[in-house]
Amino acid sequence: MAKYQGTLLFALVLSFILAGCGASQPAAGEGSQGEVHLILGAYTTPREAYAEIVPLFQAHWLEETGQTVIFEESYLGSGAQSRAVVEGFEADVVALSLEADVTRIADAGLITHDWKAVGYNGMVSTSVVVFAVRPGNPLGIADWADLAEPGVEILTPNPATSGGAMWNVLSLYGAALRGHVAGVPAEDPEAAREFLTAVLRNVIVMDKGARESITNYEQGVGDLAITYENEILVGQQAGNDYEIVFPASSILIENPAAVIDAYVDKHGTREVAEAFVDFLSTKEAQEIFAQHGLRSVDPDVAAATADQYPPLEDIFTVEFFGGWPQATEDFFSENGIFNQAIQQAQGQ
Amino acid sequence: MKAILSRRKQNGRSPELGLRAASFIFILLMVVIPMIVIIQDAFREGFDEFWHQVSQPVAAHAILLTLWTSALMTLINAIMGLATAFVLVRYDFPGKGILNAIIDLPLAIPTLVTGVMLVILYGPQQTLGAFLDQQLGFQVIFAPPGIVLALLFITFPFVVRTIQPVLLELDIQQERAAATLGARGWPIFRRIIFPALALPTLSGSLLSFARAVGEFGAVVIVAGNIPFRSQTAAVYVLGAVESENRLAASAVSVVLIAISLLVILITNYLIKRRQIS
Amino acid sequence: MAFTKTQIPSASKRGWGTRLIILLVILYVAFLVLAPITALVSGALQRGVPSFVTALSTQQLWQSFVLSLQIALVVVVIQGILGTITAWIIVRHRFSGKALYNGIIDIPFAISPVVVGYMLLLIFGRNGALYPLLDAIDLQVAFAVPGIFLATLFVTVPFMIREMIPVIENLDRAQELAASTLGASRWTTFWRVIFPGLRTALFYGVALTMARAMGEFGAVLVVGGGVQGRTATTTLYIYHALEERQYVEAYTAAILLGLGSVFIVSLADWVRHRSQR
Repeated sequence: MAKYQGTLLFALVLSFILAGCGASQPAAGEGSQGEVHLILGAYTTPREAYAEIVPLFQAHWLEETGQTVIFEESYLGSGAQSRAVVEGFEADVVALSLEADVTRIADAGLITHDWKAVGYNGMVSTSVVVFAVRPGNPLGIADWADLAEPGVEILTPNPATSGGAMWNVLSLYGAALRGHVAGVPAEDPEAAREFLTAVLRNVIVMDKGARESITNYEQGVGDLAITYENEILVGQQAGNDYEIVFPASSILIENPAAVIDAYVDKHGTREVAEAFVDFLSTKEAQEIFAQHGLRSVDPDVAAATADQYPPLEDIFTVEFFGGWPQATEDFFSENGIFNQAIQQAQGQ
Repeated sequence: MKAILSRRKQNGRSPELGLRAASFIFILLMVVIPMIVIIQDAFREGFDEFWHQVSQPVAAHAILLTLWTSALMTLINAIMGLATAFVLVRYDFPGKGILNAIIDLPLAIPTLVTGVMLVILYGPQQTLGAFLDQQLGFQVIFAPPGIVLALLFITFPFVVRTIQPVLLELDIQQERAAATLGARGWPIFRRIIFPALALPTLSGSLLSFARAVGEFGAVVIVAGNIPFRSQTAAVYVLGAVESENRLAASAVSVVLIAISLLVILITNYLIKRRQIS
Repeated sequence: MAFTKTQIPSASKRGWGTRLIILLVILYVAFLVLAPITALVSGALQRGVPSFVTALSTQQLWQSFVLSLQIALVVVVIQGILGTITAWIIVRHRFSGKALYNGIIDIPFAISPVVVGYMLLLIFGRNGALYPLLDAIDLQVAFAVPGIFLATLFVTVPFMIREMIPVIENLDRAQELAASTLGASRWTTFWRVIFPGLRTALFYGVALTMARAMGEFGAVLVVGGGVQGRTATTTLYIYHALEERQYVEAYTAAILLGLGSVFIVSLADWVRHRSQR
């Protein structure tokens, strides 16, 4: 009996000691002399690029100021990351998939500076919406119109949980509306919506994020995945054998990064956070983005890597839909175009 | 005796009340207050708006899918859980120890990993998945069967572990007597064993149903998540949370909570009635 | 688990029906539980034992494992004490609303983990009710270890209580009365008379709570944000490894979690076995 009491007591003491260790984690901001903590909240796609940019910046900052930057990185879906920051995740810097997710943080009063005045309109990388197809393109997918053919099994993430999926839907609809989809008349919203419905009918999996969608495709699911160009290039670098198909028309995906004023001031990390965001626009960082499948926002780097990133016949931005607030309202609200189309596609 | 009892009562009252207070405060803080917060959030724009959110076709469809897949899982789980517990307690065979040890494994494996494992196993490129899909035309992953399978895996220990202790304590003498009187196999099971196990089976099954209704980690990976086809309520809630449709998230959550609470209350009532009779 | 061999019918008397049901159960468990786990193990070993060992010695994995373990241990202590007290109250006390109380404690079992995380954000998030207070004392709950801890505490509430209730119901009250009649203090009565009867259930409850705590994913993801080196539990480590296509690392971590839980549950079985002898 006494033995068990001893065990119990031991477990109790042990757990509180361990809990004590857990509680004494370093807080963000200035640590001991010559150390500074920086919390980066990013979306999942460019994590391989950041894995190389972060050490470069650390070396750069150490040389310039003698301080060691200790990074704490979080990678979540863009929307989830943005909401986490609004709900109290005290990231010093965010790097997200779409402008609307930074706007949400600004609207919450956490970003007070004009973040779009930094660097290239606040954007650090761009990409386009493309298709991943099986080796040798057995179905002969050439452009958007082929996606509506009966029997093509498509993967695209869910727009409710994934920024990437919103880009996909807007790209598809925009291409149709602009007359770049064979058989769909230009400037005809009704026809464009029907085309969206036909494609959605072929969707077999809607994962919660862009990365899950492409890794699912890698498991052999489906014939085709609608995704970012950089997701495919990174996937190919990781040894996957799918091929890339460029549609004639795509939306230009623009990925912003910004300093969160409220949190950097609280942590006393403004200087290093701003330096990091500035660093993202330097040629050094831009070249790394380009190596990881992202189209550079720096004109020189873009020109140098142009052979890797073929131009498309038609590229449009979200301004075509009147900007993000308007597009979100028109497409992804309760009675938005996307919800109407998916409902129709599933025969409801 | 009476004196002792009354003294006991006097001495006993205050520490027992202390225990009660500790328990109440714990459950209040941990369970009740979060629930009140979410219920209040769901009804903050009135009942009509709540109902509107719940009866939206996409939400209603997700709730229905969750209910029928959970119900199907519960049925299979009840039968197979009962059989497994029975075999584990009553028979001796090689490998029994291992069988008993792996029953609890689903509890230990993160649901996220469960989902990934099922995709590895039944995915279209894998031998088993390819065989089922091409030879039998039966698609497991990214369809309702995948949901049922994931739920079965996750809830398997609940029914087995509810029945096992009852079966262990079941009076084998009654069965022996029945056997001596000439009853064999099935009648013994039906007349003596089953009545004793009906309740634990039911309560274990209902518990697994309650657990299944809220399951997320595995389902989000294997279900396919197509609205109106393979999107469950928990995945819908995640979508609503992520697209800042807070009212829809809270409303559907409240429906899930209400269903679970109802099921649990029914289970507890059945147990209590049985104990009285 | 302990079974007395004398109760088990000898193999020679076994009919075809019995063999069939044993076979059926073995096949079912093999198909439902063993097959996915085999897929997991072969996934972890797909690039040979050396990569498995490398994956097992990753520093990030052990950091996350220690964090998960710390949280689980504190949770287990709290659930062990307050869960036992709550089970005691439910069995021995009479109060109005007890049926509801009994139902409410199962709610965490049924709520979708996403909703749990979301509820905690509604309370502790920057727009939550308690945020001004937390901010004033500079305590970060959401997206920090306390938030993960609370989420884990929430989802594990029912396990200990459910394990203890049947055991407390079966306790022999005459012994307690006898002990107090003979002048034993309440504390002595508890340690010498009541506790020995609860011990095995306590161990089992600890094992189940521990397994559930270590495996929690959805709630921890929503409330913790999965910041590497800060709020990365083992399940979040697995999640990130999967997203980075580090499949061997992910499956290895899952095996580590699974083995840890099997060890704990086996330990509980062993204790139960010993106490029955």
